[in-house]
Amino acid sequence: MKEFALYEPTSLKEACALLAQHGDQAKALAGGTDLLVGMKAGWLRPEVVVNLKKIDGLRDISFSERRGLSIGALVTWTQILEHPQVAEHYPALHQAAASMGSYQVRNLGTLAGNLCHASPAANGPVPLLIYEASCLIQGPRSKRTLDLSGLFAGPQKNALAPGELLSEIFLPVPPAGSKSLYLKFAQRKAMELATVAVGSLVQVKKDKFKLVRLALGAVGPVPFRAHKAEKVLLDQAASEEIMRRAAQVAMEESAPISDLRASAEYRRGLLEELTYRALRDCLA
Amino acid sequence: MKKMISLNINGESYQVAVENRRTLLEVLREDLKLTGTRVMCNQGDCGSCTVLLDGVAVNSCLVLASDAVGKQVETIEGVAQGGALHPIQEEFIAKGAIQCGFCTPAMVLTTKALLAANPDPTEEDIKQTVAGTLCRCTGYVRIIDAIKGAAARRKES
Repeated sequence: MKEFALYEPTSLKEACALLAQHGDQAKALAGGTDLLVGMKAGWLRPEVVVNLKKIDGLRDISFSERRGLSIGALVTWTQILEHPQVAEHYPALHQAAASMGSYQVRNLGTLAGNLCHASPAANGPVPLLIYEASCLIQGPRSKRTLDLSGLFAGPQKNALAPGELLSEIFLPVPPAGSKSLYLKFAQRKAMELATVAVGSLVQVKKDKFKLVRLALGAVGPVPFRAHKAEKVLLDQAASEEIMRRAAQVAMEESAPISDLRASAEYRRGLLEELTYRALRDCLA
Repeated sequence: MKKMISLNINGESYQVAVENRRTLLEVLREDLKLTGTRVMCNQGDCGSCTVLLDGVAVNSCLVLASDAVGKQVETIEGVAQGGALHPIQEEFIAKGAIQCGFCTPAMVLTTKALLAANPDPTEEDIKQTVAGTLCRCTGYVRIIDAIKGAAARRKES
């Protein structure tokens, strides 16, 4: 790893000022499970590292029935996995946490870092997209709120401006009576990114789909909501046929590539089947 | 440029001059010669560099040495006390859970962290934990037996 200047600010504002001052030369360090790997391999060669771990108040995860779930920038995957109300109210996020990295990596890695790293195959984005999460973005002079879907600019590329940090993630309370889940297909159970991942959130009333959210991972440059497939199902009676049709539409909305994990063709087939199962299992 | 940091490792204080880029793993092995902590993939995949930071199992190759300042670091050298093996180590020997021994320090330390947080782990809990450390010899069966044995002994005592 190349040597760098290390700053350890104790406030978010100070951190943002340092990041703004050093621009492209600087990287923010949270859990380090992506950043340090990239720096060792030489893909990333920052002159300046701004370590966020001395900043108070970023390690909190809290749930309220009114406001939903709030997750600070330094909250680890282990904290998410062990939070009883995440398992109860946000099962897709709990499932994504359970299959994230490994025991040791979950103790270091953060959800916020996972989102900012912006891998199309990451565990964090897909469940958060179906819960319609939003991000609090802190800049050197001001704050803004961003829908999660606006955070992903391309593979390994986030939409933050120089000097901006993702400081907190909010998940509203899921609609009453809805069911949700996360399906990840990967070569192994541990230490593996998704070949294809699907998140689904479904609310059925009087046997009809009243609300459907589908999110897809590793089948395009960024994780995304399959809005066309969702529309196929809306207000329709729940049947195998309609779920199969929606799965086909989701496949048609996707744009997977061939890489070391799978060919594009294999991913399309996998996506269609996983989307069907994600819908079916929400009805079970 | 190097700076002096103070690390607490296995209850002892060490002053080390380090560059910012140095990982905890490198400082343990290269500066302090605590080579019980293994280096293999050096990118967080294999788990062989596992240490406990304030009791939490982490890959020391993904931790900057400066981030261990103010924390209690425990390595495999600190597990046996006064020349006597820890019950977890005895169980690993008794169950034949050690072959080449390369993953053993990490397996013993993750077991210690697991049992401190969850004294009565299910087989699935154990599998989730050992999945973070690659063992190329045993197929994990005897390691899982040893962890069950260590949990049982912990409950007795």
